[in-house]
Amino acid sequence: MVLIMVLTGLYRGWNDKMGQYIRSVPADIWVVQDGTEDMFHTPSVLPLSYEATISGLNGVEDVRPFSGRRVAFHHRGHDVNMYLVAYDKDNNSGKPARIVAGKPVPGEGEIIVDKISAKTKEIKINDALDIAGQKFKVVGLSEGGDVVTFSFAFINRGDANRVFRLPDSTNYYTVLLTEGTDTPTAISDIKGAIPSVDAVTKQNFIDNNTKLIRETFLPVILVLLIIGVVVGTAVIGLTIFTSVTEKIREYGVLKAIGMSNRQLYGVVIKQSMTAGLIGFVIGSTIAMVLQLTLGSWVPQFVSQINALDVVGIFGLTIAMSVLASYLPIRRITHIDPAEVFKS
Amino acid sequence: MKSAIVAEGLTKIFGSGHTAVTAVDEVSLKVGAGDIVLIMGPSGSGKTTLLSMLGTLMRPSSGGVLLDGKDAAKMSDSQLASLRLHKLGFIFQSFNLLSALTAQANAAIPLMTAGVARKQALKQAKVQLEKLHLGERLDNLPKDLSGGEKQRVAVARALANEPKLILADEPTANLDSKTGAEVMQLLCSTACAEKRAVIIVSHDSRLKEVAKRVITIEDGRLTKEEKGNHDANCPVEHKHAH
Repeated sequence: MVLIMVLTGLYRGWNDKMGQYIRSVPADIWVVQDGTEDMFHTPSVLPLSYEATISGLNGVEDVRPFSGRRVAFHHRGHDVNMYLVAYDKDNNSGKPARIVAGKPVPGEGEIIVDKISAKTKEIKINDALDIAGQKFKVVGLSEGGDVVTFSFAFINRGDANRVFRLPDSTNYYTVLLTEGTDTPTAISDIKGAIPSVDAVTKQNFIDNNTKLIRETFLPVILVLLIIGVVVGTAVIGLTIFTSVTEKIREYGVLKAIGMSNRQLYGVVIKQSMTAGLIGFVIGSTIAMVLQLTLGSWVPQFVSQINALDVVGIFGLTIAMSVLASYLPIRRITHIDPAEVFKS
Repeated sequence: MKSAIVAEGLTKIFGSGHTAVTAVDEVSLKVGAGDIVLIMGPSGSGKTTLLSMLGTLMRPSSGGVLLDGKDAAKMSDSQLASLRLHKLGFIFQSFNLLSALTAQANAAIPLMTAGVARKQALKQAKVQLEKLHLGERLDNLPKDLSGGEKQRVAVARALANEPKLILADEPTANLDSKTGAEVMQLLCSTACAEKRAVIIVSHDSRLKEVAKRVITIEDGRLTKEEKGNHDANCPVEHKHAH
């Protein structure tokens, strides 16, 4: 049960983490280069001139360029992977989700890093980071930008232009629509106005960015979950089977004095349910404690268990308990009640 | 006297061909309400096999059993379970109490199995156990009871659903002679007072004192029937006589 709960929590947690920063960016639509699906695996480069074209479309309230690039560097013996975002204070583009320490806006040669990266990679405020040939001084810590394997970091627009080397270009546009504007129509208008771009809703863009988790992590999680269910069912089944075998004479007595097979099955299923529910309560408690405590020691342990998952796992426990009763019930079915006369 | 059980030509053969063994051979028996029958015989004579068939725990190879007028051969396993629950009470040599349950809960099992609410079942079990002088031992687990007390709990369990017939297999075998006599006296006087039939299978010839009829079985066949001393010893009969 602990394994099932933790795996479910990790899946939910990681899935949420992957989309967490994108979720915080104010946008109804993301405009990307045609063929680009997500921020991390398929690059997108768009001319800054598109901003005016998109701004002029019906229902568009606001358009902002969004520039970012993955970078890797070493710091205090750690390999650090970050997704650098150009934070343009003037048009409020590329803003960190939340600032938890230090300066809220990076100046020239300054950088704001995510607090989880800071912890795991031993990055402190005032540290100097050597990124893509440029020196950056850490001036602030943000949160909500950790994506498990890397994290978002924020530099100012001028520095970004130097690091990204994309003059007169950006990577994406975030578009806000006026109230009442039909999003599919706006998407269609953007694609119609600029044929070389693709436009997707914010949710679709989040889904595209978390697809990696769903498509690679989920099958692994599912296999582990199946193993967890099989092992859990086997443990309950063996526990009850052993109990039935130990008390086989007593079951025979019950059969002899007139308990029907159906009533005996009820006794076994009740025992199985009790074992399963004890496992569920203990497992849930341990998983909750791990969720609350382990994350602070191991930042990659991002677990999120929601009420629906708990209900689902409860249902799974019931199903496992019923399934686990099969062999003990078969054992009871074959008891010869006349055996009870043997002393 | 209305018959509680009628056995006609009961036969049980184990195995087949050259290895076939006839454990019970053409046994016919009629036991009426209030009758107390002791079946005696040497080891391997077929006593327990006969008792198993009379108790519908084993289907005969041929012949049949009528229990309270119902033909057991025509019943399904679940119907037989229901028949045993409501019409039969069992007492075993090794008591066969459920180790995790108290004396009161053990005595209440047949009632709860029959659908009586737990609280009511426990209440009725308490009354029955008090009749059997176990009022002080209601909450004791079997491991904390003496052999005689365990067998009295088993008697209470056998009597719980007010069965027409009580079947007892070597009920005194694990008891000392004094305790065995006391328990069986208690069972037989209770059965006599409530007009329940009792069939006892035993080696213990002292049980002739509580039986009305004594039947001998040898090599699977009933060979002799004689009168027991029940009437001389039963307090119920004495009371009626006075």
